[in-house]
Amino acid sequence: MNAPSPALVAPRPERLRLVGQRRQILALMHQRLMFGMLVYAGVIAIVALRILYLAAFGDHAGRKEGLTQLIPDRGDIVDRDGEPLARTIDAWTIAIHPTKVIGDKLALARSLARLMPEHSEAEYFGMLRSGKPFFYLRRRASPALVEAVNALGEPGLAIEREPDRLYPQTSLAAHVLGFTDIDGHGAAGVERAFDKYLSDPATRGQPLQLSISSKIQQALEHELGDAMAQFSAIGAAGVVMDVHTGEVLAMTSMPTINPNAPGQGTPEAHFNRATLGVFELGSTFKPFTVAMAMDAGVIKSVGQVYNCPNALPVYGHIIHDTHPFGRACTVSEIMMESSNIGTAQIADQVGKQRQQAFLKKMGFLDKVEIELKERGRALNPGSRWGPFETMTIGFGQGIAVAPLQLAMGYATLFDNGVYHAPTILKRGPNNPLPRGRRVFSEDTSYKMRSLLRLVVMKGTGKKADAPGYRIGGKTGTAQKLINGHYSQTINITSFAGVFPMDDPRYVIVVMLDEPHATKDTYGFTTAGWNVAPVVSRTVSRIAPMLGVAPDMNREPNMGEVLPFVHETKE
Amino acid sequence: MSVRNFGSLAMVATCAGAALGCYLVSLRVASERAQLEDVETRIVLAQRDLRVVQTEIGTRARLSQLERWNAKVLALSAPAADQFLTGSFELARLAQPQHKVEFNAPVVLASAPAPEAKKPPIGEPEADDASAPAPVDLLRQASLKTGTREVPSEPVATSPHMATGSKSTLSPATAAKPAQKKAVDKPGLAAAHPGKTVDKPALASPKPVTNAIRLAKVDPLAPLPDKHSPKSVSKPSKDLHPGR
Repeated sequence: MNAPSPALVAPRPERLRLVGQRRQILALMHQRLMFGMLVYAGVIAIVALRILYLAAFGDHAGRKEGLTQLIPDRGDIVDRDGEPLARTIDAWTIAIHPTKVIGDKLALARSLARLMPEHSEAEYFGMLRSGKPFFYLRRRASPALVEAVNALGEPGLAIEREPDRLYPQTSLAAHVLGFTDIDGHGAAGVERAFDKYLSDPATRGQPLQLSISSKIQQALEHELGDAMAQFSAIGAAGVVMDVHTGEVLAMTSMPTINPNAPGQGTPEAHFNRATLGVFELGSTFKPFTVAMAMDAGVIKSVGQVYNCPNALPVYGHIIHDTHPFGRACTVSEIMMESSNIGTAQIADQVGKQRQQAFLKKMGFLDKVEIELKERGRALNPGSRWGPFETMTIGFGQGIAVAPLQLAMGYATLFDNGVYHAPTILKRGPNNPLPRGRRVFSEDTSYKMRSLLRLVVMKGTGKKADAPGYRIGGKTGTAQKLINGHYSQTINITSFAGVFPMDDPRYVIVVMLDEPHATKDTYGFTTAGWNVAPVVSRTVSRIAPMLGVAPDMNREPNMGEVLPFVHETKE
Repeated sequence: MSVRNFGSLAMVATCAGAALGCYLVSLRVASERAQLEDVETRIVLAQRDLRVVQTEIGTRARLSQLERWNAKVLALSAPAADQFLTGSFELARLAQPQHKVEFNAPVVLASAPAPEAKKPPIGEPEADDASAPAPVDLLRQASLKTGTREVPSEPVATSPHMATGSKSTLSPATAAKPAQKKAVDKPGLAAAHPGKTVDKPALASPKPVTNAIRLAKVDPLAPLPDKHSPKSVSKPSKDLHPGR
């Protein structure tokens, strides 16, 4: 009826509004669509770019991570020649998941007991029925055993490889190396001291190089072990040190442990006598007293004469000698025959103040300086340090030091009197030689050479001589303090030697704890009879390895001391 | 129009081709890298195996084990100071005495025949003929055993010098065998002594034989008369060295 033509009839205002709205909505829709498309295209572009990037620079699917460089789970420890002393290997481990066992449990327990007899059949059966998820059956299993266990074909048995610490040289240098606990962390020795270095992924690829030389270590351990067995001693310790650098070339403590099975060692065997144990080492201290007196100007010549009666009563005590002179004697003779009476008088002249100052500078009043954590603190009279104690310290009673400290003292004395802290790591770019501190004058150091050579040539240390190697040194026989009293029969014997004496390069200290007399020693338990031969044998073995050529025609300047030795006997 | 259309198509094709080319290059690089990594991995695995083997060998041949073997079997000891040499001259001095021992030794052996040789001098003038049959018996025994070496040398050296002495020169040679036999039968000092006591008188006859040998050997080594005297002195000193 009233159908108006669209051209003629003006649209109604509502309609107009509608058209405007639709256009707006349409525009909005377009915008939204465009936005959605852009987002979609962007995502695709990102994916495409990522794919392109991966294709160009990415890793391929089959790439194995971490195999491009061989980094052990724990760093190696090697000796100064690069010979491995500790390594981490992949060892076989046999374990069992009792819940996953599907076969006959009784038969399995029976065959396990046959293969691994450390548990009985009933114990294995108990494990299998316990309902617990996991048991270790054997760590570090042999390949033969692994093969046999694998042949059982039981899916509940887990055979895996896991890193394990191996010490190829077994008990060699056990106290230096230490060992690791079940989690692979260091529990003693170098393993403990350098745990961070050995376990840090950044550093463990590079082996830790010690100053120890395994050949020298072996020679020292063998000779010392022989002596310990021969004289039925309860313990022994030995140190070989480089005089100029302070590097410890060999260090042993006996009885020893096998770091591959540290649990088997007794507490006695775990004790490191070389660094942790402190002992009154007796007459080996006398050279220090004489050197102090020389440095302080108390002794002006090795021909200086002291009165040496058969017994010396001082400060309410009486000092005795094993070989009493009963006459006036020179400093040379005091050293040669190891006279307590003579040395006590020298120490008395040096005095407490100077003695303490020297001992402090030599590091004898503190803990021994070495990287290991097993370090003993030297013992001294402390507040009771009076004039008599000064005298006894002069001949090595009343002060207890570790054998390594004694070696350090001798190294100081013969490295022209300069102290360098000992180290267990090889000197090199990573461990440079620190500036030393002067303790004795060069002149004193030089004069001491012939004095100590005299002890080995003519005195108490004759048996320590190795022909051609010019050993000089001092014996020490100290009475052991048992229940607060010095025993008359039980000794600690030690020898501190330096070779070659005409140009000192190496120091060797050996110690035997409670050696017994044998037929060969004619009933003596003094150091000249039991530890001195160890030094002789060890030096003749190690000196060629250390590049010390034997020479029968070289000696230190003996003309300085021989004129002052009174020779009537012999 | 057509050129424009083809132009865009060509652009697309070029782009696609370039992209494909790039992709192929990167694919090639990736595969090369993968191979390299494979090789590196194999190297690392080989190093690990080496390490395992080295560790095993090191553990089996640990120093304490070597020491044990040495104590039980080898019994080697540290060299003594006088076993070290400082230079080639000392080494040469060690080598020299060995020559001297060589040509001194035959003298000792040659003097062994003496016991039979002593008999003829006792009955010197007439016994020569009388003793002749006795050596003949011995000669038969001796020729059975050795004699190939000594027989040719003796006639050459001795026969021109002494026509009558041919028998006597034969007799020591033949007598040598019984003497050696005795020594073998009675080993030790008892057997050695009779031989020694008879040595000196017998020396005269065996000398020509040994001299001939000695001259031939000594010629290059002994131009100096001075050196002969220390021979006997240096001989014992040489003997000491191998003993240690």
